Amino acid sequence: MSLTRRELLIAGGLTAAGTVIAPSVARAQQPKRGGTMSLRLWDPPHFDLHAAGGLSYKLHILMTFTHSRLVRHKVGPSVVPGTFSIEPDLAESWTQPNETTYVFKLRRGVRWHAKAPANGRELTSDDVVYTYNRFINTKGHANAHMLKSVDKVEAVDKYTVRFTLKEPYAWFLETLASPMVVAIVNKEASEKYGDLKKWESFIGTGPWMLDSFRPNQGLTLVRNPNYFVQGLPYIDKVEIIVDEDNASRTASFLAGKFDLGWENPGTINRTDWVQIKDNALRRRPGLKTAEFPANVMSHISMRTDQKPFNDVRVRRAISHAIDRQGIIDAVAEGVGVTNPAVPAALKDWSIPISQLGEGAKYYKHDPAEAKKLLAAAGYANGFPGTVCFTTYGSTVLIDSMQLVLKNLKDVGIDAKLEQKEYGAYITSCFYGKFDAMTYGPQTPFVEPDSFLFGQYYPGEPRNQSHINDPVVADMLVRQRRTFDLAKRKEIIFEIQRYLAQQQYYVTTNSGVYVAVWDGALQNYGPNVGYDYGGRLMAAWLNR
Amino acid sequence: MLRRYLAKRLVVAIPSLLIASLIVFTLPRLIPGDVVAMMLEEKAYAKDLEELRAKLGLNRPIYVQYFEWLGRAVQGDLGESLWTRRPVLEEIGQRLPITLELALLSLVVAIVIAVPVGVIAAARQDTAQDYIFRSTAILGLSVPGFWLATLVIVLPAIWWGWRPLTGYVEISKDVVGHILQMLLPAAILGVAFAAAMMRLTRGMLLEVLRQDYVRTAWSKGLRERVIILKHGLRNAIIPVITYIGTQLPQVIGGTVIIETIFGLPGMSRFLFDAINQRDYPVIQGVNLVVVSFIVLVNLVVDALYAVLDPRIRY
Repeated sequence: MSLTRRELLIAGGLTAAGTVIAPSVARAQQPKRGGTMSLRLWDPPHFDLHAAGGLSYKLHILMTFTHSRLVRHKVGPSVVPGTFSIEPDLAESWTQPNETTYVFKLRRGVRWHAKAPANGRELTSDDVVYTYNRFINTKGHANAHMLKSVDKVEAVDKYTVRFTLKEPYAWFLETLASPMVVAIVNKEASEKYGDLKKWESFIGTGPWMLDSFRPNQGLTLVRNPNYFVQGLPYIDKVEIIVDEDNASRTASFLAGKFDLGWENPGTINRTDWVQIKDNALRRRPGLKTAEFPANVMSHISMRTDQKPFNDVRVRRAISHAIDRQGIIDAVAEGVGVTNPAVPAALKDWSIPISQLGEGAKYYKHDPAEAKKLLAAAGYANGFPGTVCFTTYGSTVLIDSMQLVLKNLKDVGIDAKLEQKEYGAYITSCFYGKFDAMTYGPQTPFVEPDSFLFGQYYPGEPRNQSHINDPVVADMLVRQRRTFDLAKRKEIIFEIQRYLAQQQYYVTTNSGVYVAVWDGALQNYGPNVGYDYGGRLMAAWLNR
Repeated sequence: MLRRYLAKRLVVAIPSLLIASLIVFTLPRLIPGDVVAMMLEEKAYAKDLEELRAKLGLNRPIYVQYFEWLGRAVQGDLGESLWTRRPVLEEIGQRLPITLELALLSLVVAIVIAVPVGVIAAARQDTAQDYIFRSTAILGLSVPGFWLATLVIVLPAIWWGWRPLTGYVEISKDVVGHILQMLLPAAILGVAFAAAMMRLTRGMLLEVLRQDYVRTAWSKGLRERVIILKHGLRNAIIPVITYIGTQLPQVIGGTVIIETIFGLPGMSRFLFDAINQRDYPVIQGVNLVVVSFIVLVNLVVDALYAVLDPRIRY
């Protein structure tokens, strides 16, 4: 084989290029500091987690970038979506001397953001005590009940905090780790501004600092150079874009303006994804995707304290009437999961339908059996009723609602749609103020207790079906007092088996999320839940 | 005379504003679901609801709340947002200019398109030019602005992976960027506006061109340009001015979708969010400002009549 001079030069050039490229590729495998990532999030109603209106996911997500919690959920590519294990955040360790006492040792040298009035002061146990007392005692703070088991919070010394509970609460650490509950807030900022509603008072100890806020437009976060985890975060700047129009978001994504999918949690609706997938992959060949079940679960709630829904045969008939797979096929491109009482997304806690025992059969679409059950309950000709509903601006939900109505009609239940505007819906039907039935999604928690206790325990505001079943109530309290994980899991499974038979709520399906992220984003692992900041903290940009 | 007329009109506007204030205060409170329940989202215990209502002063009789608000509004204080605790006037002050700018730019776009096209269509009645202009105007009227805006945003992204500017560019930071950003939404808003205005201009001008004095002008041998623009258009334009006066508030109200699609932090988007959140002081404040603006625009329109037509005297 002989080479011409020209070929030799080209080969030499390629070799030279290879030697230049190879080390850079090798270096790219090492985390790299710098870069700006942009993503679509939402305008928070204000910036005070404990003030009325601060419960919004819009603020919860934002705080995962800027604030820390005592403990947090493990993140990263190795974490299986839908699973959550606890690891230290501000607390470097903790002990539980007895069932009602937790003692947290704080990291030393944690600094507040270098902004007035905190000015980079060291975080101490007093800050933790201040935050928890503010959380529990602020009037009108609707999440205060999440820590109603807490009797007192004390600073033992500068770096030690002790929690004393009124009663055993096995989900206590999970509650502290949840991005939906307590992030540690700054006392000086609260005192200076009167509350923490203004963006200027948004001071935490998290990996990024809020640099600017432009209402209805976006926010800019910059790297916290004094973050307590050495070297993190890698990404210098996070540009958050507020975009309330789906067409505009789609265009922005195709044009490469978002590094993550634009829907929570960094995903793209399957129906949108199917439409743009080819184009998006052609324009952004490095795009990465992952699929996992969504923890947003819809269900039909019923007035189980009234006829005809106080008859379990009627509820079972409704469950038989619903064509869950049909809904998945029609509205979710055929990809979805059927949920028992705990959404299938929570892999560690949700029991597969096939393992629900006696109750499993009620998840089967069987209109003939539904009619039989209705006849046995004295409703051979069915009955009329209403279904309260709001669209949440989701075409998928609207389509599901239509199919649910059709399924009910097929077995003789003549359900009339009672559609309400979101505000009217939340203040009435969501709180159980409806005549017959309500259909809609539930808050996407990341642990089973909130799904179960909140919806099935008597007197809870989200007990939409007006359930007062001592058997369930007893199991719900029991699982809260069971610290042994395996035993608690068995009780949770037992609850789901029992609820499958009772069908107090007829759960439908959840979609399967399509998480999408830019190819340049390394060391990123998607998951359900609001912890965007946590998931991006150790991620880096290879641009 | 005109000054006295305007003063009289301003005095007459006071009861209108008072009635409007009562309506804008009462209506939001009639929507099911109050602000407190919205704030507590999906977790409201009855005790929390009552506590928060008391904290926000919403548990007092509604007439007490109304007179208190009105008393402050008269002094230029529109209260604070129940959500952000920021002064409503300050919030409006930041957003109103953006919406006004968008509305006025769309008006300019509409006038620039509609008046010349309307004049040409009238002057060349029943010619191919006229038919093309009229058909285009009907198309412009038929195409919804939000659809056009969506296409303008999405198609370039699909074809070329490009989308128009996102995020609001302040004029103080980048004049060119600011104008470029406003042009597209203003043009989209202006299209429908222009279509109706063009048809009106054409219709009115045709009517005027059939008047005796126009025939006289032709017989005097005046140039077509002079006849149409000086004798025709000036007399035909008054209904068009009236139309602009009545449409401007509608354009302001109609910017909500355009502001959302183009990411402009204007007042319409602010009002839309406030209604969703039942933020009563914001709803009241914005509506009061809009009502006052409408009154003002109508006054200006009335004054313009006298300028355009010397026969009109007040």
